[in-house]
Amino acid sequence: MTPPCHPEGAIAKRFATEGSLSRQGSNSLGWTAIPQSLRSFRMTREGRPGVLTMTRAGAIALILGCGIGGKSPTPPTSNHYDLGKAATSADVAARDVDVGPDGAGLPAGSGTVVQGTAIYAAQCASCHGERGEGKLPLYPRLIGRDSIAEGFPFGKDARFVKTIGNYWPYATTVFDYVRRAMPQMTPGSLTNDQVYAVTAYLLAANRVIPMTATLDSASLSAVKMPYVDRFVRDDRRGGREVK
Amino acid sequence: MRLLLPGWEGNTSVKWLRRLELGTRPWMTRWETATYTDPLANGTARQFSFEMDARSIITSPAHPETIERGWRSISGLAWSGRGKIARVDVSTDAGKTWQVATLDEPVRSKAHTRFTHMWEWTGNQTIILSRATDETGYVQPTRAELMRVRGAGTQYHFNPIYGWRVMPNGRVFFHGDT
Repeated sequence: MTPPCHPEGAIAKRFATEGSLSRQGSNSLGWTAIPQSLRSFRMTREGRPGVLTMTRAGAIALILGCGIGGKSPTPPTSNHYDLGKAATSADVAARDVDVGPDGAGLPAGSGTVVQGTAIYAAQCASCHGERGEGKLPLYPRLIGRDSIAEGFPFGKDARFVKTIGNYWPYATTVFDYVRRAMPQMTPGSLTNDQVYAVTAYLLAANRVIPMTATLDSASLSAVKMPYVDRFVRDDRRGGREVK
Repeated sequence: MRLLLPGWEGNTSVKWLRRLELGTRPWMTRWETATYTDPLANGTARQFSFEMDARSIITSPAHPETIERGWRSISGLAWSGRGKIARVDVSTDAGKTWQVATLDEPVRSKAHTRFTHMWEWTGNQTIILSRATDETGYVQPTRAELMRVRGAGTQYHFNPIYGWRVMPNGRVFFHGDT
């Protein structure tokens, strides 16, 4: 028979029994308990042990978790470790928010530079500065097209500060990152329209798009960043040459 | 549960793994584009420097140790993202001469390899260094060589020869200017 859970689960269960691990908290071992709603995967023994059951062809999201506490573990069936449950399409959709550099995955909605200016002031400026100048080292500079740092001089001197406008290769990355990770204390709180607006403001303030622009999935996909052509694939292959 | 990607930069071995999403092309995410890319002196930026170039470090002696005169072992770890460590050289005279260190078994691909070298310290101030060579023939460079080929602005994926400065009183301090 197979173990019902990984060792972390056994640790968590012991802590839960002792009343020192909340169901959604972290313990001193750094193990984070996973809420019931996120326990939605299953490990299979078909093929080779530990292979995860795929829930969807193409882009696949798997929610990993491990049951803790409560009733004793269900005896495993012949083909499964009996961990979690299959991810529902709603589970997958809620987390399937990635945006590709070609705009794939961008949602419906739109926002203007003007709208984004107000959202930036309310939601972003307290950390990143009124003009996106950042507060180093914690909060990176977002806005900046200083002539001294134009022309991609970053390899020559580490003191040149990279910004969205003078470095980032893809505009879609701004949308993707803001939507999944910002504002830092309340990620996920902005609507898609607001994320489009903030993205528009950051791109306009970096002189990538006009101050009159409105961004939606089509127009954001069409934005070409100033220095995208400077990015080259890793050509290190070992051997005698140092690169 | 942790993702383990042997040979790749450590931060791709993601801890507390919750989800895996498979795709057919890079997503060009914020960290892998805006941060972990390597700007080069020729005005380009290298993208996805996942594979680790060969590197070694001396773990003993090391700061804040104070060493005694006489015979002792210099030991450390070497690794490469492209295969096995082929040899490690150790210098006890600031890089003027090098001796081949002994590799402890097992020597495995993309795995830490322990090396040792016996050394008699006579009480003089010196610098001890280690230099790894992997099975592709790649030799761990000095800091100056890395800066020369990548530019002075290079920061990430940095694998220069580093070592320790041994003072006449036996105290050991970091030495990174190679």
